[in-house]
Amino acid sequence: MSATNCLRCLKRPSVAGASRGVVVPIFAPRSAPFSTTAVQNAMPGKPQKSMEHQDRSIRVYRAGKRMKIRKKDNVDRGKPPAPGERKAFRKKIVLSNDNALPVPWVTQMEAGSLSDPKQIGKIVSLPPALQDQLRATEAFQPTQTWGLFRKPSTLVRQESVDLMSKMEEAVENKKTARIVLTGEKISGKSTMLLQAQSHAYLNNWIVIHFPDAQELINGSTEYASIPGTENPTLYMQQNYCLKLLQSIKKANEKILAKLLSVSSHSELPQNITVNQPLLSLINAAKEADGAWSVFQALWNELNAQGANRPPILLSMDNLPHIMKISEYRSSAFEKIHAHDLALVKLFTDALSGNTRFPSGGAVIAATNRNNGPKIPSMELVLKQRLAEQNGETEGVPVKDPYFKGYDDRVEKVLKSVEVVEVSKIGKREARSLMEYWAASGLLRTTVDEQTVSEKWTLGGGGVLGEMERAALLTMKI
Amino acid sequence: MPPRLNLTLAFRALSLRATAAAAPPAAGQPLSQKIAAPLVARRFYSDNLTPNDSSSSQIPSSELPPSSLTPTPTEQFHDADAAAASVRQQQQQQKQDNLTALNRLEMVAYGLNPFDAKEEGHKYGLPSLPLPSELHKDHRYDDVMGQITRLLMKDGKLSKAQRDMAMILNYLRTSPPPKLNPLRPLIPGAPAPHFLPLDPVTYLRVAIDSVAPLVKIRGFRGMAGGGRSLEVPAPLAARQRRRTGFMWILDVVQKKKSKGSGRKMFPTRVAEEIVAVVEGRSTVWDKRAQVHKLGTAARANLMNPQIKNFL
Repeated sequence: MSATNCLRCLKRPSVAGASRGVVVPIFAPRSAPFSTTAVQNAMPGKPQKSMEHQDRSIRVYRAGKRMKIRKKDNVDRGKPPAPGERKAFRKKIVLSNDNALPVPWVTQMEAGSLSDPKQIGKIVSLPPALQDQLRATEAFQPTQTWGLFRKPSTLVRQESVDLMSKMEEAVENKKTARIVLTGEKISGKSTMLLQAQSHAYLNNWIVIHFPDAQELINGSTEYASIPGTENPTLYMQQNYCLKLLQSIKKANEKILAKLLSVSSHSELPQNITVNQPLLSLINAAKEADGAWSVFQALWNELNAQGANRPPILLSMDNLPHIMKISEYRSSAFEKIHAHDLALVKLFTDALSGNTRFPSGGAVIAATNRNNGPKIPSMELVLKQRLAEQNGETEGVPVKDPYFKGYDDRVEKVLKSVEVVEVSKIGKREARSLMEYWAASGLLRTTVDEQTVSEKWTLGGGGVLGEMERAALLTMKI
Repeated sequence: MPPRLNLTLAFRALSLRATAAAAPPAAGQPLSQKIAAPLVARRFYSDNLTPNDSSSSQIPSSELPPSSLTPTPTEQFHDADAAAASVRQQQQQQKQDNLTALNRLEMVAYGLNPFDAKEEGHKYGLPSLPLPSELHKDHRYDDVMGQITRLLMKDGKLSKAQRDMAMILNYLRTSPPPKLNPLRPLIPGAPAPHFLPLDPVTYLRVAIDSVAPLVKIRGFRGMAGGGRSLEVPAPLAARQRRRTGFMWILDVVQKKKSKGSGRKMFPTRVAEEIVAVVEGRSTVWDKRAQVHKLGTAARANLMNPQIKNFL
């Protein structure tokens, strides 16, 4: 390809013209020396400058040279992302992948699935209604791998069966199980919390879940002192409360519609009389202003003695955050302890056993290792509790007498909790999980003893999240 | 100079035998009994010089502890402590033999013959030689993946680049099958579009290979006359082609606006561009067409006598 233009066109430069024998007149004025371009083809010349300008004797005053500021090349003229859009991307939760293959042997989770010892090592999928409930309480986390599979499913582990049976036992005895989940990084503590919630929803409990304790204490929501509280002054977080009420309403709508109030609440923005459904009580909170009083009224209603209330699950993820001084300040500009925030106090009271649920229930909190602060008191007490549970008498950790960072309030809360350690999974559970991955089309190898052993070992000897990283988040597919 | 006589050897030759060995299994037994043989044929020798039938011969039934070894106590045990010690020793031995038997059972589960001389002492057997390239640590990833990941890398952080690449692959395998544009055909031999999300590595490979240019333009300074450079096309090798193509993709990604935050944002942008390439929406295709057009136009310059020495 020599030129984009027509090859034989006369209007093309000289060579073509010369070859065809066109005589260029010598006398014709040329547009440029050494050019063979025909005159008629040359660009019309610039108009001559006026004599006035050419004559140097006439002084022409020009407006002074202006300084030109070069514009930056990378000026961004596009629309910036809308407020909240970037965070929405970060927090987006996808629960299904249409490319993944459906796995025939996965059954749907039922009310008794998670507490049945026969189900250990099996994969169960979450029914759609439950998915909506769990979404409402933000039980799914964006770092988990729900989005890779056809249906959101979860592995029933030994620990899950233990935990659920503890919950069931507590309800039978009308007691409150107070449990703290500990374990390594990405060993499945939050998923265990999700399973506990699923169990509670499927068994018609009321679930109140704090998805991230950090949001309560890091100064990101508005706060105000509660009038009438002295020594210590308590603080309410109205905006957070409203959000929490809405999530409670969305997740527990069916049960709350059936429960009726036992006392009248005239102090609320909307007057609630006796025998009105609790759903309308929650609906009374339209704005952040009355949210705290509505929440308190709801809490009192749920804990009303002798009203045949369902069991309650109160759960919180990222527990260590509420075991320290918060980012909030009092009117005297003193730092507020997290336990002086009313919502946190409600949770810690339940965790320490000061609150009794009328039909029993459970308070479950999960610690976190990745982003959590180090709370020496909490770590010490949890270790002591674990040693006590295991019946160890030797090597029980004791307080360092020269260390000042212990917190009595934290110890008081945790001194009688039960510690459930979410440990590593065994090879049988690992195999069942990997068979599920392979059947979904995500693990493109045969699952035999050797591959199971390989991934199990790569995953730190059965740390579930690490196994997922080794098998699913890899360049070798 | 070390002493020529080693005294420790002399002590090692001393053997203390307390109990007779149990009767070993017969020769014509099924495999399961052979495997469990160490449980039966426990050796109760306190020294480690007496040949251990399970390790010296592969089939335990063939060689038995000779009958001459039955109790000829070389030393009398009158001491209660020594008797207790021997019992403890026996138990330990028993435990070890059980472990051997279990290991053998495990090998059978892996599909190996526990009595194969080659596989003795290897839990998963020996690999066949020569090793496939993915078993070498430097070549464990697909060749395109290895190259592209290093192109993604910033500040020498390879593991972050690998994580990003894994997220790109996960994006590709969760995205719906691409709708191909007939004007922008993929490389010949590419799998059908509905197959691509199931194999994200191929997806990425097809995208990059399809859009990679065949030639680059070399400029010879001042050779075209008037200080202009003479543009001459030069062919690219496969690796160079992929590099050029992927750098174009990355250029587009850099100019794209970030619509989110977090560690998934960058991989998502790259993956979106790769999907755009396969669907023929990407501007990288125009860049490729431009280079190819220039390359064909400048083909005539290859005949320039001045550059003959350079080519």
